[in-house]
Amino acid sequence: MRSRRASLVFGSANLLTAVLVGLGVFGGLPARWAPVDVPAAALTALELAAAAGLLSGAAWAARVSRVACALALALGLLVVSVLAVTVSWLGGVYGPVGRGGAIILALVAALALPYLVALPVVQLLWLRSDRGT
Amino acid sequence: MSPRVLFRVLAAWATATIVTCVIVRRVFALEVDEAHPRAVVASVWSGGSLVGRAVLARAGDRDAVLDRALAGHADATLVYESVVGEGPVLLRPEVAFAASVVAGHDGLAVTLGGRTEYLTPDDLLARQAYDDGIRVPSIGLVTGLDVPLALAMLAERLGTTAPDIVDHARVRRVRVVRTVPGDPPSRVVTAESMTDGDVSGGVVAAARFLARGVDAQGRFRYLVDAPTNRTLPGYDWPRHAGATYFLAQAAGLSRDPEIAWAALRAASWLRDTGSLACGATRCMGTGSRVDLGSSALAVIAYVEIARTELDPSYALLVPALTAFLRAQQRPDGEFMHEYDRGKSAPVDVQLLYYSGEATLALSRAHALLGDPRDLDAASRGLAHLAGPAWSFFGSRYYFGEEHWTCQAMDDLWGRAPDVRALDFCLRWQAYGRALQYGAGDTPFDAEGAYGLGPFVTPRLTPAGSRCEAGVATLDAALTAGADPRELARLDRQMRRSLALLLRQQFRPGPRHLFADPAAVEGAIPGSEVDWQLRIDFAQHAGSAMVRWLVLREERKKIGASALQAVP
Repeated sequence: MRSRRASLVFGSANLLTAVLVGLGVFGGLPARWAPVDVPAAALTALELAAAAGLLSGAAWAARVSRVACALALALGLLVVSVLAVTVSWLGGVYGPVGRGGAIILALVAALALPYLVALPVVQLLWLRSDRGT
Repeated sequence: MSPRVLFRVLAAWATATIVTCVIVRRVFALEVDEAHPRAVVASVWSGGSLVGRAVLARAGDRDAVLDRALAGHADATLVYESVVGEGPVLLRPEVAFAASVVAGHDGLAVTLGGRTEYLTPDDLLARQAYDDGIRVPSIGLVTGLDVPLALAMLAERLGTTAPDIVDHARVRRVRVVRTVPGDPPSRVVTAESMTDGDVSGGVVAAARFLARGVDAQGRFRYLVDAPTNRTLPGYDWPRHAGATYFLAQAAGLSRDPEIAWAALRAASWLRDTGSLACGATRCMGTGSRVDLGSSALAVIAYVEIARTELDPSYALLVPALTAFLRAQQRPDGEFMHEYDRGKSAPVDVQLLYYSGEATLALSRAHALLGDPRDLDAASRGLAHLAGPAWSFFGSRYYFGEEHWTCQAMDDLWGRAPDVRALDFCLRWQAYGRALQYGAGDTPFDAEGAYGLGPFVTPRLTPAGSRCEAGVATLDAALTAGADPRELARLDRQMRRSLALLLRQQFRPGPRHLFADPAAVEGAIPGSEVDWQLRIDFAQHAGSAMVRWLVLREERKKIGASALQAVP
């Protein structure tokens, strides 16, 4: 039996993630590019579905949440890796990125990590422990 | 997936990412060895065009192609670009290619069918191919190599097509060091080594550059492409007035007749073609809707011309214009930035810079003519700018580019000191200091410039305009007896910016890359690699230098050391 309170917390987190990804990609990025737009749209839709399921206590919520978390985690790891490798490449081409550059890149990474890595990991663990009870 | 498996996956991912990062950085980093160049690209330039090239094992080696080119062009210059580092380039996507070369320092070596061609930094600078490849209009970002242009240049040299190069050639990034045989080593101006002579030389050179561009009617060459010496389209009234102001400043300082004559021609064009009736007052502009900035900067220019006694009669034009400025002021001190001549009514919109310009103009007009209404309007304008106009959540952590307010603050300090405005200006400069590049922060010659990251070639105009305001702030802070540590920080900040501007000023710059080096001598470029020369680039940098010299002179007169407050 899922804890109602935990379901509400994770459902809200899924909703927040959907809003952030949707706004960040479709509102924040200046151009449309399918390799970014399609995964972002899929993730936004899945996070919204997971949020709806968990907040309403639907029977299918856990299954959809697992898929959403798996996709979010996969994309999150990919994004962080790509960002890190890009920084390394730029560092190779331009030399030290300086304090300003380091702060900006750390902030970008910090924006992705909580929602696309930490949250999916915690939620997957919660969903798994919930399945065992 | 069990927690153990999940964490193992995450650990493997983290390890793989770290290892990949280390490898990528090592692969793309250059191992620069200036003592042992891999090759020396020798080029013969004449009138800004490449007329001969050979790749040598060592600088100084003879080559028939070079000898012929030098013999065939009387004004030819031989230039060596020593390849001191080489690394790979990502050709796809194009944005990665564009970001793969460091502007002004890196070129390309392309091998196709056993033949290698170099596209050196000089080649790319001559065609202005840097900082034109990646555009993000929403944040005004333009950076990276112009890939289509670079590929077209290579394709022409290799007798092939751009796609053929991308698909079949071996493309490498090369770092080069340029030397011009026979050129004496130039002195590098730094914050520590900069002298008043360096600065006054910079002022005169910048002013002479602008003066040469003033035609018989008094119009400037507004925008000049330095490599070709072509005049590009466009004009702007406020910038015309601002450049006229700087010419008057420089003429007052140097008493150079060429500069003074150009200032008067530019001012007469402003007076004779830009003056309009705006209700019962006079304003500057064209058409039915005029802006505040043109009139404000015209006042500043006229006052400077009268104050420096280039032509005292310009003082007569000031009252009608200041009446217009005052009529545009709201009761809260803010200004309405446009005027509809058809409706004979102000338009209450606010645009960047104009309120600060109007405040400074009114202050300067009062200093010249003594009309108390101008002083009152300027004081209220300043109080608004440093108060309600910059009061919002986060306003302590963010400041814009506006650089006239602090000049007005300093100008008013002796007659109507505003402590709150001085505090605002000191905070703005401290914010700028946090964004100011130090030596080694970027691969560019950027110490003293402002920016947020190391990948974009720093623009020089913000350094000049912030310096105008910064030196003004230093002046007022010295008089007010501000904290000596703050004064020392601000003094060093200004020295770094001024030294940067002097280093980047075309005195004479890379003459071999200019069609007419004498025409652009003294100009301040947009950046280290952007050689389109707009009149306000020289104006902001030059006015900052003039302010610095005036401040130094004033301190000497009262017998105070540079950082000693006036008792």
